[in-house]
Amino acid sequence: MSRVMSPVMSPVMSPVMKGTALLSALLLVAACGSAGEPADGPDVLRVLAGSEIKDLEPLLRRAESETGVRVRLTYTGTLDGAEQVASGRADGQQDAVWFSANRYLSLIDGAQARLSTQTKIMISPVVLGLKPAKASELGWDTKPVTWAGIAEAARQGRFSFGMTNPASSNSGFSALVGVAAALSDADGALSADQVSSVTPRLKEFFSAQRLTAGSSGWLADAYARDPRVDGMVNYESVLLGAREPLTIVYPADGVVSADYPLTLLASAPEGKKALYGKLADWLRTPAVQKEIMTGTHRRPIVAGVPPDPRFGSAQLIELPFPNRRSTADELIATYLNQVRVPAEAAFVLDTSGSMQGDRIAALRQALVALTGADTSASGAFSRFRNRESVTMMPFDDAPGSPVPFTVPERDPAPVLGEIRRFAEGLEAAGGTAIYDSLKAAYDRPVAPGHYGSIVLMTDGENTDGSDYAAFEAHYRSLPEERRHTPTFVVLFGESDAEEMRRVAELTGGAVFDARSTSLAEAFKEIRGYQ
Amino acid sequence: MKRWIGVVLAAVLAGVAVVAVVTGNEEDDRPELTVARGVIGSEKKPFFDDARVRAAFAEHGLRVEVDTAGSRQMVTDVDLGRYAFAFPSSVPAAERIKQDRGASVTYAPFYSPMAVATFEPIAGLLEKLGVLRNSGSGYPIFDIAKYLEIVAKGTRWDNIPDNSDYPARKRVLLTTTDVRTSNSAAMYLSMIGYVANGDDVISSDEQIAKIAPILAPAVLDQGFSETESEEAFENYLVQGSGKTPMTVVYEAQYLSHVFTGDGRIRPEMRLVYPSPTVLSKHTLVPLSAPGSRVGELLTKDPELQSLAAQYGFRTSDPKAFADLVARTKAPAATALVDVVEPPTWERLDRLITAIDSTRP
Repeated sequence: MSRVMSPVMSPVMSPVMKGTALLSALLLVAACGSAGEPADGPDVLRVLAGSEIKDLEPLLRRAESETGVRVRLTYTGTLDGAEQVASGRADGQQDAVWFSANRYLSLIDGAQARLSTQTKIMISPVVLGLKPAKASELGWDTKPVTWAGIAEAARQGRFSFGMTNPASSNSGFSALVGVAAALSDADGALSADQVSSVTPRLKEFFSAQRLTAGSSGWLADAYARDPRVDGMVNYESVLLGAREPLTIVYPADGVVSADYPLTLLASAPEGKKALYGKLADWLRTPAVQKEIMTGTHRRPIVAGVPPDPRFGSAQLIELPFPNRRSTADELIATYLNQVRVPAEAAFVLDTSGSMQGDRIAALRQALVALTGADTSASGAFSRFRNRESVTMMPFDDAPGSPVPFTVPERDPAPVLGEIRRFAEGLEAAGGTAIYDSLKAAYDRPVAPGHYGSIVLMTDGENTDGSDYAAFEAHYRSLPEERRHTPTFVVLFGESDAEEMRRVAELTGGAVFDARSTSLAEAFKEIRGYQ
Repeated sequence: MKRWIGVVLAAVLAGVAVVAVVTGNEEDDRPELTVARGVIGSEKKPFFDDARVRAAFAEHGLRVEVDTAGSRQMVTDVDLGRYAFAFPSSVPAAERIKQDRGASVTYAPFYSPMAVATFEPIAGLLEKLGVLRNSGSGYPIFDIAKYLEIVAKGTRWDNIPDNSDYPARKRVLLTTTDVRTSNSAAMYLSMIGYVANGDDVISSDEQIAKIAPILAPAVLDQGFSETESEEAFENYLVQGSGKTPMTVVYEAQYLSHVFTGDGRIRPEMRLVYPSPTVLSKHTLVPLSAPGSRVGELLTKDPELQSLAAQYGFRTSDPKAFADLVARTKAPAATALVDVVEPPTWERLDRLITAIDSTRP
């Protein structure tokens, strides 16, 4: 999912994720994301990919020695990637795309014409994984349960779970589609009208959600850090790869599966088509399929590879997926505005003198984009949501006074307008009191029933007030509940990357690099995690 | 690819492997070969990828490369200027491309009737519903008229009495490809449209307006559908009845696996024939001289015709197909009785638009 995040995220995560297969994959991305990435060439296949396939990087390096095809991966979010392809912006820049599913992409007008041959590589259903003790307490380890049964237990507060943001990540999107299809009275594909009738039942189900994330891999990591959360809705492959074993619950009424189609772009030049064919054939050879299965826990797509017994023998019913983009979009918007646990987001923003000029202008623009000014699908879904609390905490020599906004449940436009005017009025002057300001953010209580997070954006080193060590000591003295708020740091200008990484690591956040892209991109990316 | 490996493996066992493989590859990459790149319906890709097919073309100085697209996409979306030939899966699409591109001839080297692939417990349930029965001619038929009644009633699998085999809370609906992009779904629409139109080929806009609302649930309520037929068939093969209890296929897609005995058709899988059915006449439209050559060879070269039969297609030599059926005991109907013609491209197109606009 994360374009901005992928290159920098891994070093932050390394201490946390040590020992997992996912980690090694993420680290490898970091390694080749910046320096070692092949430039274009006659033997290079340029692939726009979802972050889900990062764990195949070691395999793709073997593909290079066995087939002569060098794969250059560029990661992007689901909706973002779909828009790039459908609009034709990927043409000439990429030769193929590889997301966990092409379904949303196929629903966009004009997208079909951009795509050529599709080759499915592997399968993984999106299901629920629970701590074994919790699964047995609920009886779900022995007898079949439906999504309705799971939603009922959620309503009663009998378990909690994490799931990725459906606007940023395919696993969350698939889960949302599946749960909505299963909980609705519709027996065929859901229509936009039916979304509103299933909303009350969706609210019950998602009242048990305690963790969100912009990518499936990060979700698994955040889950591992947070003992309060009983499980995750995630790809079966991620659940099987978790460090602490999970009991996997396959709802009897069905699932939505990812089938990872490696897809040639219609615009790809002749030579690249040949590379595509070689790679696709190689990926479907029984030996490679077996390796995918043992290495990444995904189900093989070709016959002749005996399935791992860990996949279980239950027949998986596939729930119908909408065939209209309007339904998919309505479902995502309903989730964000009405269904999910509302977010409480604090933005700790450097407005010191070094931010003058282009930088403060970029900050204003990045914030304004989140008030609805970015009208692309990925932009529209990253705006401040109905029911969300947003607190702006600009700082210079010292923390400024926090400016709170609460976007109402209906008619968000006036408050979004206020946030926009606030952002447009930001001015840069003075010093840089990073840690006093971050402390101030942590000292504010999180409203009950909200999902709290902090964004820290700074373009330079700390010049005033407490230093990092003082902040760390303060953080460690906070009540347990408060320490669960992650800080997502944005690297910008001359910010101290190492210290920022430590902040993210300490608080269970992540690092987003706006130096190589833009503040607007980084903020949009972070919205998937809030 | 798998078949190629099979060939290599067999050769290894015979002790002549290395030589065979190396020459095979060299032949394939010989610089003097003329490259003809075509855009084809995905269900024909395994045929074109077969090493024996490639070798047969190489004999005649050609290297044929293919991209896949839905047959209907070839008319609307694909930049045909990049290709030496287009090879859609039906006459209406081919005729339209021929007209658009000013081609003077087309080649129809083989055809395949539309069929339904399903599974054993599902087939039993369909019998219970009266949708599936024996034709009396030795093969089971899928009664389209009865099916449309079931669709109109909105019957769900878990509503069928005494059904503990497949208690899915899903409607009894055939899975097809996307009718907007793919020929196999358009062929499906031709069959159900014929029945809904009082057993007659659709020939007027009035008829279209009348039957579109009747057909819409059978097309749209299945939800998201794949763009290309090979993907849809792959879902059937890999994910089984949980995803695809019954799906519209080209007979050849199913039979090719039976003929090769590659193990992909498992004992619980069933091939049945819709009544009425439509013949999908795979028709090649040449867009350049090498493209014409590909069309000629596919039609006339005995080796290529024989290979096409092995891929489940019915060719101008009915005996080749019948022999394969007999040899592999394939569940194929050698002579189909109830076959109807598809409407013209334009009428089918208008019907698709009309169905699409029944839902916002």
